[in-house]
Amino acid sequence: MQAVCVGSRSAYQRLVKRHLKSISHYAYRLLGNQKDTQDITQEVFLRLWINAQKWDSEKSKLTTWLHRIAHNLCIDYLRKHTRIQTQDSFDDEAAHSPANNDESTEEINDKTKLLREALSALPENQRSALSLCHYQGFSNKEAAAIMNISVKALESAIARAKRSLREKLTINS
Amino acid sequence: MTLEKFTRIIDLHGTETARWTKTLRGECESFVANNVEARMLLNQQWQVEESMAKLEVPSFPGLETRVLNQSLPERNRSFIEEVMNWLIPEESFGKQAWRSAMAACIPLVFGIVLGNYFSFGIGIEDDGFQYWDDELTMLSLTDYTETNF
Repeated sequence: MQAVCVGSRSAYQRLVKRHLKSISHYAYRLLGNQKDTQDITQEVFLRLWINAQKWDSEKSKLTTWLHRIAHNLCIDYLRKHTRIQTQDSFDDEAAHSPANNDESTEEINDKTKLLREALSALPENQRSALSLCHYQGFSNKEAAAIMNISVKALESAIARAKRSLREKLTINS
Repeated sequence: MTLEKFTRIIDLHGTETARWTKTLRGECESFVANNVEARMLLNQQWQVEESMAKLEVPSFPGLETRVLNQSLPERNRSFIEEVMNWLIPEESFGKQAWRSAMAACIPLVFGIVLGNYFSFGIGIEDDGFQYWDDELTMLSLTDYTETNF
């Protein structure tokens, strides 16, 4: 990272290769469509290049800092755009999943579709909290730092998200 | 243990008993064993977690190339940063070792140049003339009569 600070492009490339997957996955789980995910991911790494000197290794890990940039960009994006777009995109993705005549696979696809809908209907902070702790593997403390909220608020968001998902999936099934 | 408290634990820590708070784990397990609603809740949450585990993120072909190929703005680097980047390059270990050696030589070269031009108050006593005077005096006082030619 120090090399990126002094303008080393090869160091930047190594960082991109190391963190691209987790950043793009996090952005996708928040935004729900591929096009915006790619735009946001690109912007995250551009900001990494521009603001490399602002990163403080004593304050946070690099991955935490990058996720925070991604989080802020995604939240800004979601606030500027309507939620309908995200909903439609999730449906498109689900429709592109491989077709299968097997009944159990259809059942799984239905459940997955239901879950996608339930996830996209969650408020951004709950979706983000769930994504960071459940999928990205951050501790509650780290996730709270990324979202710039207290650990209690994060735990509350996770609890509400899980309850909401459970209720929606139970009702629909 | 109440159902509300148990629900809170499930919401926070999930269905894996290993992740439940140690102090409440035993209590929770006996509560599940004796309470139908708790078992139902656990089962529902397990189904949610199972579905979440199956939820995959699509691959993003070409994203890495796109990010790596995006045009990056040039940095306005300070003189110190430029020097440091030159002395400690990232490209290869060979260059890095060579430039470190160069950096180690800088004080030596600097010292030689300075020492060549400035005395820094350290005077070198040039007693060459005095030495020759002494030599001549000694030669003139030498008795050559004893020498047999």
